[in-house]
Amino acid sequence: MGNRRTYVPNGVDSVRGFVDTAMEFPRLLALLLIVLEWTLPVLPSPLRPICDLRVLDHFIKEARDAEVAMKACREGCSLSESATVPQTRVDFDVWEKQNSSQQADEVQSGLWLLQQALNLLRTSVTNTALHSHIDTSIRNLLSISGVLRSLNIQEYTPPASAADVEGTWRVSTATELLQVHVNFLRGKVRLLLMDAQACQQDVS
Amino acid sequence: MTCDHPSRLLALYVIICATTRASYIGQGARDFEKKVSMLLEQEPENPKCFAQGRKDFTCFWADDEERAGSVDQYAFMYTYQNENSSRCPLRELRVPGGKRLFVCHLNQTQMFVQMDIQINWEGRLIHNRSLLIELTFLLDPPANVTVSRTGHQGQLNVTWVPPPLKYMDDSMMYEVSYAAEDSQVGQVQVAWASSMLILRGLLPGTKYKVRVRVKLDGISYSGYWSAWSDPVFVETPPAELDPLIVSLTVIISLILLVLSLMMLLSHRRFLMNKIWPAIPIPDSKFQGLFTVYDGNFQEWLGHTNGSLWLRPTYFYSEECPSPLEVLSELHLCTSLPSPPLPPKASRALSLGRKDDTKTGLEAREPLERGDSTQSDNWLMDRLRALHQHPIPCSQSSLLESQDTYITLSKNNHGEDKHSNDPLEETLPLEVLFTSRKTVLSESHSDLGSGSGHLSSQSSFEYPNHAGTSKGPGYTYMAVADSGVSMDYSPMSRLDDIGRVAIYAHDYKNEIPVHRGPFLQRQHSLHGDC
Repeated sequence: MGNRRTYVPNGVDSVRGFVDTAMEFPRLLALLLIVLEWTLPVLPSPLRPICDLRVLDHFIKEARDAEVAMKACREGCSLSESATVPQTRVDFDVWEKQNSSQQADEVQSGLWLLQQALNLLRTSVTNTALHSHIDTSIRNLLSISGVLRSLNIQEYTPPASAADVEGTWRVSTATELLQVHVNFLRGKVRLLLMDAQACQQDVS
Repeated sequence: MTCDHPSRLLALYVIICATTRASYIGQGARDFEKKVSMLLEQEPENPKCFAQGRKDFTCFWADDEERAGSVDQYAFMYTYQNENSSRCPLRELRVPGGKRLFVCHLNQTQMFVQMDIQINWEGRLIHNRSLLIELTFLLDPPANVTVSRTGHQGQLNVTWVPPPLKYMDDSMMYEVSYAAEDSQVGQVQVAWASSMLILRGLLPGTKYKVRVRVKLDGISYSGYWSAWSDPVFVETPPAELDPLIVSLTVIISLILLVLSLMMLLSHRRFLMNKIWPAIPIPDSKFQGLFTVYDGNFQEWLGHTNGSLWLRPTYFYSEECPSPLEVLSELHLCTSLPSPPLPPKASRALSLGRKDDTKTGLEAREPLERGDSTQSDNWLMDRLRALHQHPIPCSQSSLLESQDTYITLSKNNHGEDKHSNDPLEETLPLEVLFTSRKTVLSESHSDLGSGSGHLSSQSSFEYPNHAGTSKGPGYTYMAVADSGVSMDYSPMSRLDDIGRVAIYAHDYKNEIPVHRGPFLQRQHSLHGDC
């Protein structure tokens, strides 16, 4: 009805005006574009690699703050059950012998494990002061995953359960969990980001 | 012989190698000793542990004097997180100062995990410590510290080589200490993850001592400050005049100079008047005196008959002047009988006659109120006679016969309340001298000097009558309050067409203007009594 210049009641043959015929082609084109938009998969734009380690340093500082806050906590800050966490130790000889994909895999699995553990901690801890710290840590882990994605490190497909992951530890206290969290970020994650191929190319 | 040479060469080679190695070891040992001694001071816990590299780890403690045990009695146990314990072999070390140290050295370490250390002596735990190895770094000081001049004043460029640690270059922070050679107080600047630093704000032409030390920044890795590097002495470039500043100064001073010159030139008259005020010259009052007669007053007098000349005399300011009356310009023959002058007036007149040039005349005295009345009467009579017998007389008259008295009364502004003054002002002198058809014009000029009460003066300009014979001179007197007074003296009329100016200073006097039946122009000089 909208484009008709004259109102013609229903059932009567409408006289197609000039505007109607002129608008036909744009309408078809718009419809086509909309359909294509839905059907074609969204191609991700290439991410700019985040090579500045100050981002990670910032996360490390915040994780350290969370650990300190947890150490000072007296009540309402316990883990309801033991959690699986990645091993944080780094033997440089061993580390250098590994190739980058192995290193990436180790880091990715560790991050996933930590995410699960922190989620558990979030539900376990009742002290509201610690909630902000834990939320920040969870957010930072997701950001680190994004950083890894920007460095073209392949996505990690999580296993069915945490027990399937190799090289893990079990922690039973919140303090230990956050300590592992800090050490993991400072160690393996940082070494991986430092050695990232995408950043090496920029430097050279 | 042939067998000796290789063996000798070999021996020589071994010796050289040994010495170089020994020097290295010696250097290493010295460094180690330095670190040990530093940690002994800084670290309170036992055992004192530090890592020198990615795989290096050393722990030690000083022997307790009480125990004095041997190295075998001690057991150094370390346990990584979630792992089994391990034992570290100990060795004994003697340091200068007589102390005995027990040292544990590990060639392989695990970082980012907690390490628990326990030291047992004879089965008993004496030391216990839990640490993370990556937080105990104690590095060697930076090597190859070089200090060079930049192109700028007061700046030095410091560069160094960071300790060779992989993965940790960007986690290092440096401290550069610099001090002038003769001063004890030094300054410190921090550089983060870079191997050069520019020192600014240094004194020119001074020798500076520069040292550098390194530490890990504490986010991912941490540790203790390294020892200071060997000091480097460099002299800053000497002070030099910045050409920009010099040129700017010159330009600005030139601009200011030009501006001041312009100001001076534009106001030079004003400034000259202030600095070197012009001496007023009476040139304008004496026409022709300086230009024609070159200042020769006598000549000028001779040529300008009837012109008024002024001579400054000092006046008593307390004196009240009396008014002078100008009755008329009387051209009287000497034949006319003239009544004797009032004594004082005659005295005054004679006095005035006597002196030609400069004598102070106390002309006010004879002209007091009473005298003026007297002289008024006398003058009136004379005037009456004149009008009746207007006889031109060419002789230069004596004062007695040709007395014309000018009574000058002039009001100050607002001071004189005499109402006759305005009337007098309006009376033209033509009325008085109608017979003569002289045109008198009155001009007022201001001599104003000295006291502020002097206002204007009246001057009479008598145009000379062309063709007339020498008329009688008339006496006049003007008195000024400022100390400048005018003498009156008989002057003869001019033949030439000169202008006669009579100047009268106005000085305040409360003497009222005397009104007579004649139309007289009376100008009394008022002055402050």
